[in-house]
Amino acid sequence: MPSAITTGRPTITKFTNCRLLKGDQLVNQDLWVSSSTGKIVRSQEAFYSEHSVPDITINLNGRIISPGLIDVQLNGAFGFNFSSIPEDPSTYGKLLRQVNKSLVQTGVTSYLPTLTSSNKDVYHQALPHLGPSGRYRVASDGAESLGAHCEGPFISPTKNGIHPVEVLVPAPNGFSDLEDIYGVENISSTIDRDGNIAPPRIRKITAAPEIAAMTNTIQEITSRGIVYSIGHTEATYEEASAAVAAGATMITHLFNAMRPLHHRNPGVFGVLGRAESLPRPFFGIIADGIHLHPTSIKIAFNAHPEGFILVTDAMHLVGLPDGVYDWGNGERLVKSGPKLTLEGTDKIAGSSISLIECVNNFLNWSGASIPQALKAVTSTPAAMLNLQGVKGCLDSDADADLTILDEQVDSSGFKSLVVDQVWKFGSKVFDREE
Amino acid sequence: MRLIIRDDPAAASKFIANYIIDRINTFNPSKEHPFVLGLPTGSSPVGIYKVLVERYKAGAISFEHVVTFNMDEYIGIPREHPESYHTFMYKHFFSHVNVHPSNIHILNGNAQDLEAECVGYEAAIKAVGGIDLFLGGIGPDGHIAFNEPGSSMASRTRVKTLAYDTIIANSRFFDNDLEKVPKMALTVGVQTVLEAREVVIIITGAHKSLALKKCIEEGVNHMWTLSSLQLHPHPMIVVDEDATLELQVKTVRYFKSIEAVASSQGFEQILPSKVRTGPRPATKSIEPLPETKQEPSILSPQPLTSTLLAAPATEYPLRSITPELIPDRMGSRIAAH
Repeated sequence: MPSAITTGRPTITKFTNCRLLKGDQLVNQDLWVSSSTGKIVRSQEAFYSEHSVPDITINLNGRIISPGLIDVQLNGAFGFNFSSIPEDPSTYGKLLRQVNKSLVQTGVTSYLPTLTSSNKDVYHQALPHLGPSGRYRVASDGAESLGAHCEGPFISPTKNGIHPVEVLVPAPNGFSDLEDIYGVENISSTIDRDGNIAPPRIRKITAAPEIAAMTNTIQEITSRGIVYSIGHTEATYEEASAAVAAGATMITHLFNAMRPLHHRNPGVFGVLGRAESLPRPFFGIIADGIHLHPTSIKIAFNAHPEGFILVTDAMHLVGLPDGVYDWGNGERLVKSGPKLTLEGTDKIAGSSISLIECVNNFLNWSGASIPQALKAVTSTPAAMLNLQGVKGCLDSDADADLTILDEQVDSSGFKSLVVDQVWKFGSKVFDREE
Repeated sequence: MRLIIRDDPAAASKFIANYIIDRINTFNPSKEHPFVLGLPTGSSPVGIYKVLVERYKAGAISFEHVVTFNMDEYIGIPREHPESYHTFMYKHFFSHVNVHPSNIHILNGNAQDLEAECVGYEAAIKAVGGIDLFLGGIGPDGHIAFNEPGSSMASRTRVKTLAYDTIIANSRFFDNDLEKVPKMALTVGVQTVLEAREVVIIITGAHKSLALKKCIEEGVNHMWTLSSLQLHPHPMIVVDEDATLELQVKTVRYFKSIEAVASSQGFEQILPSKVRTGPRPATKSIEPLPETKQEPSILSPQPLTSTLLAAPATEYPLRSITPELIPDRMGSRIAAH
């Protein structure tokens, strides 16, 4: 096919014979991506006005193109825990870059690196590495950080999960306490060397609204473009509603580390009800088969499908063999398959599951359609992060982050989506067959 | 006039698609000698494009050296509008085949100077040597392109105000809001279509049967602009059974019998080789038929068009076409290489 573009390197790739995730449907349509802009090409306009034609055409034989998956709660992977500063702190950045390159091969093209409750100096050392990393749009960097997720330390000591109680703190002075713990430069917009305004390195904070002055601090947090998420909390329904009214738009791992749904006090789950005149928040769900019963997941999905976000909450042990691993403060974690527990207890210590496995579990447990399941890891988290039109969709001019999935059904009838290829900013970064 | 009748719209579309593919392959287009194809939009041609795309994907046809000219485009809606003809063509045809964008011509309804756009369009058609095959559909009122009833039969590419009927009909694509429907369009003229070396029209559905009757059983009439085709040397209309509802049984039987007889005698109703291969100077010298046979043996009356229409179609034959012998067809193909 002749090319009207004179650059030597192929830049425009056309996918054909594929099914695109568009809203609630899989649409048979071609998709053009450009590796020079890193975006999905407005193909009709490029065709007519610039006479562009694809440099390469790839026939996907009916496979699915999903926007790249987004994990908004990932604590570490491939042996690297974002919350543990290595003995030589200067290696943190290098280790993080390795994680990004491995993570992208699982289909996750962007994520929020998540810090569990830690001492002040951990935040001050880790956060400078964890801010948004996609500004230079380098495909070979792998998975892109959309900003850090700080889960704690402003959480309830009685709903701490496996977060060490001794590092938990209240914020009686409001935002200034957050600035102190996280570091002013991490929680505010900064002006970089080129004079551009860079968003805060922190993208999302999980905190208990009932602790000290937190509810009154929500507005200050969200005004910085940071998502406030309710989690690790003893909040009643009324307290949770007040937090939503103050600007909370997310619930961290719904059902886990919060009061259970009681018919006379519905707790945090109650804010997903339609009765209040408040907008209903997004919520994270860990579909690993351990944190939640499949039926609870289905109930949550049906309560508010547009807010349903699948997260892994995976620990750094994801991708490592089973065994016992150190977990700071003299404690140790036991990894057995996808199950992680604190040694000597039956406390669940996060998961070691991949995001596509969560999608597959949800697909089989709920009877949801493939588009509904994929939305929970693409367009819904993108909407939660206010990145509609940029991430999590296949619209023209969105970032060309793609996860190409093959639909398979095994002999027991278990339906699964397998990550065949991953594209980042319009370039292929993973191919299962290579 | 050839009238081809098929059982249903799908069969009619398939016939035309295969006909076009055959024409292009016989023409053997090259960079210097491209095949020039006129293209319509609308619901009738969708099936044709579908088959063309399938056959392209199966490797039966390449559009690499095909130059296209579209019939019309709305004025004042963005090129990216879902109802623009740019979008239609991209969605149904251009994005699936290898027509190079630089070979595509669609009128620009957002041009600064619409008049200049129209003049330029006619010039562009002339510059590539005229249109080899103009594919078209019609409206229920017999209009071809946006040449609404009452359009001049000598018209050329120009700005056209849409008939109120058309605006109402189109409003279904614009949220049923008459205000949103474009009121004007750019369109090739009747004369532009007639100047093509061949015109192929698809007409399907009972709602177009009256138009078909007016266009082939009655006289040339500017209220049914397709009837102008009666003045063209090589028109072909392909219809489904439903579109023949208003025709006389006699008409239907006549055209069906012509097709049946032709195929039983082992020849098809084909175009003269010159039209099939295009005006290719190299082939002229080795045309196997004696030069004298090209002349009419009896001086027939001049066709009406030469007085009615300013410029006659290129390569105008002065007699009806005698089916050519098979060896001649082979010869012209060899010469084409």
